[in-house]
Amino acid sequence: MSTHIDLNDIQGNIVKGYGHFGYPKARYIFYRIKECKAGRQFVQDINPLITTGVAWEMTAQSGENSAPTATTNISFTYQGLKMLGVSRLSLQSFPEDFAMGMKERKDILGDDQTSSPQHWDQIWQGEAVHIWISINGKSEDVVEKRYQAICDILANTNQGVEQVLGHTGDQGETNLPYQSASVIYKNGKPQATEHFGYRDGISDPYFSAASGNPDRVIGGGKPTRGNPATKEGWEPLENGEFILGHRDEAFETPKAPQPPLLAFNGTFMVYRKLHENVGSFNKYMNEEGKKLEGGKELLAAKFSGRWRDSGAPLTQFPTEEEAKAFGDKLSAAEKKLYMEQPNPSAPTVAAYTKLRQQLVAFNYDHDLDGSRCPMGAHVRRINPRGALEDGKTAFNTPGALVNRRRILRRGLPYGEVKDESSNDGNHGIIFMVINASISRQFEFVQQQWINYGNDFKLANEKDPLLGNHNCQADGGGKMILPNDPKGDKPPHFCAGIPRFVETRGGDYFFVPSLTALHMLAEGIVDPT
Amino acid sequence: MSLSGLLSVLKILFIGGIQQLFNKLTGKKSPPSAAGLTILCPIINGSCGQKSYAMQTRQYLQDMPLHEESPMAKVPNTYLCRFYVLNDVFYEGAPAVEEHLNSKYIVFSSNYYGDLDTYLTGMWEHAQEEVQKIWQHAVTFDRVQNAADFVAYIKRCQVNNSLFFNGSTGEPLEEQLKNLYLKQEFSRFVYEHQGLKPEELQCAFKAFIARTQPKNMSAPTWIAGAHKEIVKDS
Amino acid sequence: MSNIAGKSYAMNVVTPAKWYLTWLNKLFFGFVQLPGGAAYLKGLLTLSLIHYARWAIVSPKQFPHLDPSQPKETIKYSYMFFFSNFNGSWAQYVDSFHTAIPGGLDLFWTKNVKYPKSVPLQPFHAYITYNQVWTNHYYNAYPLASSNDVKNAQHLSGKLRAFNDVHSNDDPQDFQQAYNALLLEVQGAISIMEPTPIISLSAQAVEERLSHESEVNSA
Repeated sequence: MSTHIDLNDIQGNIVKGYGHFGYPKARYIFYRIKECKAGRQFVQDINPLITTGVAWEMTAQSGENSAPTATTNISFTYQGLKMLGVSRLSLQSFPEDFAMGMKERKDILGDDQTSSPQHWDQIWQGEAVHIWISINGKSEDVVEKRYQAICDILANTNQGVEQVLGHTGDQGETNLPYQSASVIYKNGKPQATEHFGYRDGISDPYFSAASGNPDRVIGGGKPTRGNPATKEGWEPLENGEFILGHRDEAFETPKAPQPPLLAFNGTFMVYRKLHENVGSFNKYMNEEGKKLEGGKELLAAKFSGRWRDSGAPLTQFPTEEEAKAFGDKLSAAEKKLYMEQPNPSAPTVAAYTKLRQQLVAFNYDHDLDGSRCPMGAHVRRINPRGALEDGKTAFNTPGALVNRRRILRRGLPYGEVKDESSNDGNHGIIFMVINASISRQFEFVQQQWINYGNDFKLANEKDPLLGNHNCQADGGGKMILPNDPKGDKPPHFCAGIPRFVETRGGDYFFVPSLTALHMLAEGIVDPT
Repeated sequence: MSLSGLLSVLKILFIGGIQQLFNKLTGKKSPPSAAGLTILCPIINGSCGQKSYAMQTRQYLQDMPLHEESPMAKVPNTYLCRFYVLNDVFYEGAPAVEEHLNSKYIVFSSNYYGDLDTYLTGMWEHAQEEVQKIWQHAVTFDRVQNAADFVAYIKRCQVNNSLFFNGSTGEPLEEQLKNLYLKQEFSRFVYEHQGLKPEELQCAFKAFIARTQPKNMSAPTWIAGAHKEIVKDS
Repeated sequence: MSNIAGKSYAMNVVTPAKWYLTWLNKLFFGFVQLPGGAAYLKGLLTLSLIHYARWAIVSPKQFPHLDPSQPKETIKYSYMFFFSNFNGSWAQYVDSFHTAIPGGLDLFWTKNVKYPKSVPLQPFHAYITYNQVWTNHYYNAYPLASSNDVKNAQHLSGKLRAFNDVHSNDDPQDFQQAYNALLLEVQGAISIMEPTPIISLSAQAVEERLSHESEVNSA
């Protein structure tokens, strides 16, 4: 089905994961509006800097890449929209998840114990922030330059808008003016991993307006009953799952705030600062890894569903040996592709694409008992790929319980791990989610699939990596690693899993279209 | 014969008949299992003090204690059940016809195990006081004096289920609870006894069996209705 | 006092249908209970969210009339009473039906007055919400267990009892081997049940009332 979406009107962070487009550095800056008029002025002045969703290679007239050196995007909390003078009628048409904000949703999100808001960075302690602005850049220098440009715009508001300080930093600072994020560098080389060593950002949902390589529908779209290794096995998800005003997977236009032009081509964003307890993770892998035949790397793969180095899916590459052989081929192909830039040969691209596809072109039909990839593994939880149909043809479509729960993940690691054996410090992931409904998509995944297990028939078992394992009374989480029912090896039981990931802050944001941004700046968002 | 009479015959032929035929052909006898009871009990129109009987009934239901304290926790073989007071039917808006009920009804819907007479008798015997309070304003309930009256009364208020869907199991409640207890305890056991030597494992397992008594349905087991894990020991 | 008891939610929906058309529903309900109709229930079973559910179609004459003192009902429509005991939030349940088995669902509600069909979702949401009756007292014998847990418990316990009967006095090596085989057989049922996580604002309200009550009681 053809889709007509004006990518000029959509903010770029919706359709592009900048981290994958060669923007390894980022800053996230937050503001509060003190005075409505100044707030509108600020939005108006920022507007020309906003990066849209237009595909960069398409606009390249001269054959040169049209990509900017830095990108900027903007979004607003409910309180922010209120401060900009959006009418009450319009505000009340926003969903209650967004209106409440992340802090008030802590019980639904499982942000308890060490993840509860009292442990969040200083910036989240007071009243809500109003505006979120992101800068992504090819280098720290261009990020800084863009940041200064925004500081100048801020200065023009004469304190009518203030930058909110209070981010925790690497040196124990608690009052930094912005949150930095960056890919991780090892010996000066950028890595595709996060701090636990997992290759990250492999699989992102593919939807019609994604404007990327159409082959990415394989593994990124919604499952059909066709072969998952081919295009027949997948279809693009509907745009309305990620962008308001367009058809969604419920065969309608998603519920959206009023007036329609305010919502059209906009979406909702979740911003979360997630601290990674690297010390606990390494300790657990080392100790429990000794008890598991297959060792530490297998254990890490069982937790995630992918092998750490290569990202190879466990269900396709059940042994470390197979995964390594695949990983070697993939990195050789990546290297070749990199060497041949900017104009790689067609065979090089094809060879790389074919290997890259193997990371995502699969389902769990041959692994329904989870003896390869456990039902409780992270990637199988957050994207069951039709496995919730239990191998039967019972539903209208194999993705029936999944297609409405997909989220676009954006973001980058932050901080530096100085001591691999310690949890201390300031390092983790700035985790951002783009979705048309925060409660139906992000919150559902967080609550039902990360912090609970009933959909996988696992009672209260949680995601081993991201779950809010009880760090108090009962001594941590549990996970069963099933084994081949026809074999003679019993399943393995992992007990005492500590909480590896803790929430350190965040909120819910509305990402308006460029049109809506103009309307907000002009104060012309009128209800019916 | 009226049209509705004709349809009744058709109903017997089509539904009951086909089902009976099928059961006959397959030799299927329905063993005791999970069943659903649906009743609509008219509440007396009228009031006492400032409150109508329907309001009083609803308030009593709303204020009944929950979970293991619920009177229904005392009633053998109740899996899940609910009460609500139906004020009226819903008007769907034009072109639908607007219509109203002439009584308000206590709707009691129970999913239980076994045969209805036994179940209702158990309800009367184990929760008579609350049953009498719940139904005190129901039409002609004042004539109910004993278990047999109660069974007969409820059956008069019963409406047939067109379809009862069992997405769970059909064992007696006591077995369901014992099995849940065993699942919980055995799951803990396997997590705590991984990698033992054969002798140690067997020894621990025997101790586990002695403690949990898998074939003793009455204890140790989970307490019906408990919202926290509460084990009933012998 | 609530639609929620532990991991289960009590949904009640009461909808009008023209009296003569209710026979179609009844025929369909009869049909799905026969072997050929089982396909319609496969989707429901695979959803695996439901303990027990039921549909009762009540014609005007079937509203119980117990005594001459009770006014007779004068309604013309028949009414379908739907009751479900399901795990998860209201939205999860309704959305799962809508995406997984919309066809079956539409047959269940065939010819109900102004039934909008289960696809698209928003009119269906509105229809269910409008015709839903809140439960005044809900009792669940196992608030900690989902329907999956009850089924898993039955499977695990059966295997465990049989294993104990046969193998408890094996010599230790054989015992261990048989024990490992038991674990493989029941691996899908090994998991710990805990209280439900908070899955909605109404679940949060229930939880707050409960903890308030227990504070009051322990004070």
